[in-house]
Amino acid sequence: MLIAIGRRLNLLIITLFILCLGSYVLAFLFPGDTLTNLSGTPPLSADQSHQLQLMYALSEGWFSGFWTYLKLTLSGDWGVSLNSQTPVFDDILYLLPASLELSLYAMVISLLVGLPLGVLAGLKHRTYTDLGILSVSLAGFSFPVFWLSLLLILIFALQLGYLPMSGRISLLYDIPYHTGFILIDILQSDVAVKDAALKDALRHLVLPTLSLSIVTTALVIRLIRRSVVTVYSSDFIKAAYTKGLSHSQVFWRHGMKNALLPIMPQLAMQFTVLLTNAMIVEVIFSWPGIGEWLIQAIYQRDYPAIRGGMLAVSAIVVTFTISVDLIVRILYPLNKRQFYAQA
Amino acid sequence: MPRPSFYQEEYYPSPMRHTWTEFQNNHVALAGLWCLAFFILAAFIGPMLVPYGPLQQNTDMLLLPPAWDINGEISHLFGTDSLGRDLLSRVIHGCRITLGSSVVLVLIAMLVGCSIGAYAGMSRGLRASVINHLLDAIMAIPTLLIAIIIVAILGTGLLNSMWAITLALIPQFIHQTRDLVRREFQKEYIVAARLDGASNQRLLMRDVLPNMVEVLVVQATMALSVAILDISALGFLNLGAQSPSPELGAMLSESLDTAYAAPWSVALPGAAIFLMVLSINLVGDGLRTALKKRLLQ
Repeated sequence: MLIAIGRRLNLLIITLFILCLGSYVLAFLFPGDTLTNLSGTPPLSADQSHQLQLMYALSEGWFSGFWTYLKLTLSGDWGVSLNSQTPVFDDILYLLPASLELSLYAMVISLLVGLPLGVLAGLKHRTYTDLGILSVSLAGFSFPVFWLSLLLILIFALQLGYLPMSGRISLLYDIPYHTGFILIDILQSDVAVKDAALKDALRHLVLPTLSLSIVTTALVIRLIRRSVVTVYSSDFIKAAYTKGLSHSQVFWRHGMKNALLPIMPQLAMQFTVLLTNAMIVEVIFSWPGIGEWLIQAIYQRDYPAIRGGMLAVSAIVVTFTISVDLIVRILYPLNKRQFYAQA
Repeated sequence: MPRPSFYQEEYYPSPMRHTWTEFQNNHVALAGLWCLAFFILAAFIGPMLVPYGPLQQNTDMLLLPPAWDINGEISHLFGTDSLGRDLLSRVIHGCRITLGSSVVLVLIAMLVGCSIGAYAGMSRGLRASVINHLLDAIMAIPTLLIAIIIVAILGTGLLNSMWAITLALIPQFIHQTRDLVRREFQKEYIVAARLDGASNQRLLMRDVLPNMVEVLVVQATMALSVAILDISALGFLNLGAQSPSPELGAMLSESLDTAYAAPWSVALPGAAIFLMVLSINLVGDGLRTALKKRLLQ
């Protein structure tokens, strides 16, 4: 077991290392001066330029240059943004919670809706219920997420006027920044109108979360349905019924455990899809998260920010996927066989 | 298929034929195929039929609603946008650009991905392990994110975004082909052919590839729907096709300014993308089910 965990951790570290290498190479690939792309400060004098050159060890060859970069990256010095001249790492830490909050809620909602529907469709395989759920989910993941959010804005914000169309919270409420998760911040803060602020933040959350979760829900339904169908057609379920177990006993003891565990890594993959979709949704809803910041950085050709944003987002994605994979492998006994066969 | 069976005259359909028969039984998928055929036809001959050019402006007819609206006119079936351009012409030209470029880039990605995947599937040892690990890492990153990174390097534009999405789609094909090739190479008919002295290359071309074609087609339809969504998403974010171009995503982002006054200029291009992706997904799903049924028999 230790060997298996070691292999996964090894993969994680190697992948993160490759990502770092990639982001270092990006500084050379981007148009413009490499030194400016790395540090984010356009050198004003020859002296300053020399100082930067020493800091990034560019003249000492590729290897030591990358080694220095790696050390700087690990210590949190990711250069400064070309436009705002604020440290990129601090910006990312400041903005990341907003994106994570949005994706997390969307993921929770998709699981809450998708899980029962997927199981229902799987159990009622080849009936009208199954067909109905399947067609709805097929339509659901054919939606371009940007069009969906625009339609939601057009209908609910512009025509009906029920919900606000952009931002995280109305400007009336001044919520101090603690964790970056707006709901937690409101609960922690000592604003006089806590209930009203909470309600307002929730109203701002509805449309972005909805447009994100529709697509993901559809994918979750399909994954779970297929897994349930496969498990229910296998012999051990028949054996359990023959043994005389009731429907609910088979369902809870044999069906669910075997249907849900193996698809956990695929479900985790949906979180990464969600995070990318969240970038588009953030742009549309002016949600102050990392996606909106990254896309603005691309418009303004702010290369240090692009580099840092890429590194942060892909590192989160990779870490998340590999850790879920690891947890599932530890929990799911059938996988152990594969482990040892490979190791 | 019930047929009068005289003597030994039994009818065995070929594998392709069999898949097609199964596919035809699925009426929803068939409807999707017709819808897709309509889009392909529109992309090929539509631009010759429409009366207006995609960039032709008509200042007398600004923000005209669609023909079914009370204020609409039949001369502009889908209405016009804020510069008086006919939306129907633009949507049809947009289908050509979006669908056409997606098909091209999926074909390129498939060709490259399958070659690398076949090589990876046949190689063993350290090389295979390195490719595997690298692939696992890249597969975890969503295609749109990779595409955005590549666009950031190459700069914006339709061609650059096409390159970006091609590169981002390749890992999926490598993964799929590698697994397939590896699985097929362990089967007995391959071992038999190998004992007859066939080389790896010959085994791949003559024996393994014909068995993989259908699975690869299913994979390609999935990649096609992803490609359409991504290319229009990049267009929407102004990272792909640039503004006057009638690419569907770019059209959407252009019509954002008048979204309140002219909601149809947002709704119609988006609906075109949605229908296109939906029909492709229906066909892909139908194909996959048909294939599974055939293999189960």
